[in-house]
Amino acid sequence: MSDGAPLSLKRDGALLLPAAAVLAGLFIGPMLYFLVVSFFKVSLFKIVPGFDLGNYAKVVGSYGPPILFTMGIGFLIASVTTVLAFIVAHLIWTRGRRFSGILLAATLLTLFGGYLVKIYAWRTLLGRDGIVNNTLVGLGIVREPIEALLYSPVAVVLVLVSYLLPFAILPLYGALRSIEEKTIEAARDLGASPWAAVRDAVLPRCVPALVTAFALCFLVTAGDYVTPRMVGGTRTMMMGNFIESQFGLRMNVPLGAAMTYLTITASIAVIAFVWLALKTVLRPK
Amino acid sequence: MNIAYGRLANTTIGILCMIFMVAPLVLVVLFSFGSSSLMTFPIRGFTFGWYGALMARDDFWSALANSATVTGAVGVAATVIGTAAAMVIVRLRPRQSAAAFFLFGLPMMMPPLVLALALLSLFSVLGVKLSLVTVVLAHLTFTMPFVILIVTARLRDFDYAVIDSARDLGASPLKTFLTVTFPLIRPTLFGAALIAMALSLDDFVITFFLIGGGNTLPTLVWGMLRTGLDPSINALGTLILLLTIGSSALALRLTRYRG
Repeated sequence: MSDGAPLSLKRDGALLLPAAAVLAGLFIGPMLYFLVVSFFKVSLFKIVPGFDLGNYAKVVGSYGPPILFTMGIGFLIASVTTVLAFIVAHLIWTRGRRFSGILLAATLLTLFGGYLVKIYAWRTLLGRDGIVNNTLVGLGIVREPIEALLYSPVAVVLVLVSYLLPFAILPLYGALRSIEEKTIEAARDLGASPWAAVRDAVLPRCVPALVTAFALCFLVTAGDYVTPRMVGGTRTMMMGNFIESQFGLRMNVPLGAAMTYLTITASIAVIAFVWLALKTVLRPK
Repeated sequence: MNIAYGRLANTTIGILCMIFMVAPLVLVVLFSFGSSSLMTFPIRGFTFGWYGALMARDDFWSALANSATVTGAVGVAATVIGTAAAMVIVRLRPRQSAAAFFLFGLPMMMPPLVLALALLSLFSVLGVKLSLVTVVLAHLTFTMPFVILIVTARLRDFDYAVIDSARDLGASPLKTFLTVTFPLIRPTLFGAALIAMALSLDDFVITFFLIGGGNTLPTLVWGMLRTGLDPSINALGTLILLLTIGSSALALRLTRYRG
């Protein structure tokens, strides 16, 4: 950048102020207040300020299984999505112009629209008389429609993977694009098989993007309540559902806040673990 | 042989993933024109009836008006605030600008439910009345990072010599921005605004908790889903897809942004 820049930081740093105000006032502030509230109590439907660890004790004591279930399904969804996304991103990066053009267009166009629309489309797809069941029966793969396709954890996994794929493909494609082709050619010239070249030369350079994709998918899943409610059935209760219900019928904001912070903490622990694991396994050679 | 099989397997996975992403959307559009009230194949006849049924609803028009208000306000505000920030961030040192990206990007990583509930509890303790204004404010948090990202990327490969010349010839900073910088980055700004608008228009969770009363298009979808089988929901879904995907397609053309 040239020295004769028309803006000087000192004078024009003020341009950053509105954005900083939005971040501080509408994100950091509310998140901090939410943290404080998680230590408050509720008595007679009123929030009583104080410092009380009771909410956290209650969440750990009574919501252990749902937290574990949420982390488990989140790990499954985020892993499957990240692996598939890497394959697609790698195809976009390596294949001929037409095929990668179509793949990239499908990714970019499904990225920004139709969260709710996608979920309800899947609901009709997976239903007893839905297209998936009709096809399976029609092809003679199964005799009877599979009831458990909809209103089960399987449906939650299918819907969220389909929804999250474009979000995971883009950072991975970005990381792949910044790798010089020479690196791969060098690896191949030295006798590495295609898979070995990807494992030793490509994947290690994508670790930050892999972690970003995984984290994004994991956090969306951990905080989702619409998908489990719409396609998960009454027995698939994820933390999002329990958190949301504290703000609806039960009206226990402090408990809901404690649930939120415990879920976020557990999620960060899982993401940190995945990051360390990827860094250890995928070393450049 | 092995290599050829691996290649074929990867191509198959790629095609399946694409179908997996696109198929639900295509089906909604197809069935919005199908005359049967059930979403099953084969589609028997073609009709615009579900669109007619949708237009006949009063709550559709008020939801459309609310969506237009929120989306417009978010598009303008996020773009102005985000662009101002991007102009500063682009000239920070690499480490500082990475830190800025991380900080401003945080709301993007947070599940919408968490954002919505944290804001809801703060608004309620401060006595802020829920309305379209609170929805717009909430939408700023997660649309602004996209604007900052896109505009910074454009400013990074900007030719600063033209700005220097303008300043050397005596133009004030404001005049330089209005007559040189702005016309050059205008397509990017429109693109960024359209992305912000697509994100805002599509949001359901945050809007649902912060709107207080009334509907936007996504909360209307939610209401229709809860009241049972109503095929005009496909027409509404198609309309939302048309608006969000249309504006992001246009935005991607304008900004040439590729991740």
